[in-house]
Amino acid sequence: MDYLFHLLILITIYIILAQSLSLTAGFAGMVSLAQAGFYGIGAYSAAILSLNYHLSFLSILPIAMLFCGIIALIVSTIALRTVEDYFIICTLGIQVIVFSIMNNWTGLTNGPLGIPGIPSLTIFGIAFQNKLQFLLLSICLTIFVFLFLRFFTTSSFGRILKALCEDEIYTQSIGKDVFLSKIISFTITAMFGAIPGVLYAYYISYIDPTIFTVDESIFILSIVIIGGKRNLWGIIIAAAFLILLPEALRFIGLPNNIAANLRQIIYGLILVILIMTGKNGIMDLFQVKMKGNPIKPINSDNFTRNTP
Amino acid sequence: MQQVLLNIIISGFLYLLLAQSFSIIFLTTKFFHIAHAAIISFGAYFTFFFFQKCSLSLWVAIPFSILISILLGLLIELVIYKPLRKKKTPSLLILIASLGLYVFLQNLISLFWGDDTKNLRSGDIKIGYNIFEARITSIQISLIFISAILFVLVSVFLKFHKVGKNIRAVSANIELADILGINSENIILWTFGIGSGMAAFVGILVASDTGLTPTMGFNLLLYGTVVMIIGGVGSNWGLIGGAFLLATAQHLTTYYMDSKWIDVVTYTILILFLIWKPLGFSGTRFKKVEI
Repeated sequence: MDYLFHLLILITIYIILAQSLSLTAGFAGMVSLAQAGFYGIGAYSAAILSLNYHLSFLSILPIAMLFCGIIALIVSTIALRTVEDYFIICTLGIQVIVFSIMNNWTGLTNGPLGIPGIPSLTIFGIAFQNKLQFLLLSICLTIFVFLFLRFFTTSSFGRILKALCEDEIYTQSIGKDVFLSKIISFTITAMFGAIPGVLYAYYISYIDPTIFTVDESIFILSIVIIGGKRNLWGIIIAAAFLILLPEALRFIGLPNNIAANLRQIIYGLILVILIMTGKNGIMDLFQVKMKGNPIKPINSDNFTRNTP
Repeated sequence: MQQVLLNIIISGFLYLLLAQSFSIIFLTTKFFHIAHAAIISFGAYFTFFFFQKCSLSLWVAIPFSILISILLGLLIELVIYKPLRKKKTPSLLILIASLGLYVFLQNLISLFWGDDTKNLRSGDIKIGYNIFEARITSIQISLIFISAILFVLVSVFLKFHKVGKNIRAVSANIELADILGINSENIILWTFGIGSGMAAFVGILVASDTGLTPTMGFNLLLYGTVVMIIGGVGSNWGLIGGAFLLATAQHLTTYYMDSKWIDVVTYTILILFLIWKPLGFSGTRFKKVEI
């Protein structure tokens, strides 16, 4: 039973990561590969703050979010001067730099050895020691993020994001501040990326940099793509699918390392198939009707119109 | 210090070859072909397979694996990218498909050959030669010469051969090239063939110098991308400048700080260039980098 709870906690962590990423990658159309970096920054700030400064969870969470937000603000003013493909390469660079700092700044992060012994989570004197309690907490946070994102994306700001995804220059011409909207969405993505980081650090109580690599960023991005752009419900299903997939493969008797490779092979293939068929997410692929924001297939006119 | 200088030259030539193999594809198709990284690894792993497992001689194994890598590159283009281009998929989505393809191919390698570091050298490690108090192995000497020769050959091919001229025409304006009777799909196929062959060669060179891992291609590809962006697309002198600038920066970092900060320095250079000089050294206007 504990193992089931463990998987569910992992699923909630990835749901938060992918849903917050979908704000930039899905709604605003700026595909970012730096999400694992912010995930890592959240986890490391939780570990360092709780071990060295003995702060409680409730104060660490906002501090970590704020810290991620500030970094994202600085990074986004740099990265958002580039567009599309170049933006991906730029965020990839940021991801590698963040990973490299986590891996090599031994004085602060203890380098490749990681930080062990993060104290268990307590809120108002209640210790979250068994997995069920922790699961409830992470579900609460997931629901909070989900509701916030749903409110946010259906608000007028969300419509600006969708508009600038379709046609940036047109959005500018009707008086919307495109650059500011992009910065806000990128910062919120990063701030919410810190929440699962903090959760993860407390849950496993040991973190090391190998968790927050480029591969992890690609994995989070593929949850968003497989879940479907602008489809928060789809992301929940995609996260559950991709986390449970290696378990299912292990269940039919494959050894551990082959199961891990096969999972990546399968999600790589799904990505290619989705783009090849032009379908929006795995539910669309199997013709299952989903709630959420329907999205028309992006036709190339929207992208070529800007270019001479 | 002589050793640093020599290392700069070795890496510089390697990055040059790498950047050219990547940019020749980028020239005509105008998207980042991430799966290129898998082809680099595949070239190395096929050589490893033929050389160590099938115990063929190296002179058979290398051309054979380059040939297979070229076929793989052509297959990727024909099966994945061509239909996507036909449907006018935006380059951002093609990039994501390419990312998925990379994940797929890289894990295929892991599945077949395992995740551990393999070695192409068999038996004893030779002590290198001494040149001006710096040490260089015979593999590194051949790396420098082969890279330089290949780079010049491909540049001359692009400049003077009919297909090379057509490649430049397609890269400049694909619609106009089509109107003038150039079969652009064929030309793109050519670039994939040339690029994949060079990539496999880079993989083999790196593998014989340092060893093979399934993820070796990704880092190399990113260095190639950085060189291409620094140098500016479609300019040979730009590529040369970019390759040696990157190699110099990396080896000076190793010399004065520590080799672990190489990646930080590399991507800081990339980001600085993307901000202040998105067109690179050469300044060729390309795609929608201008905003």
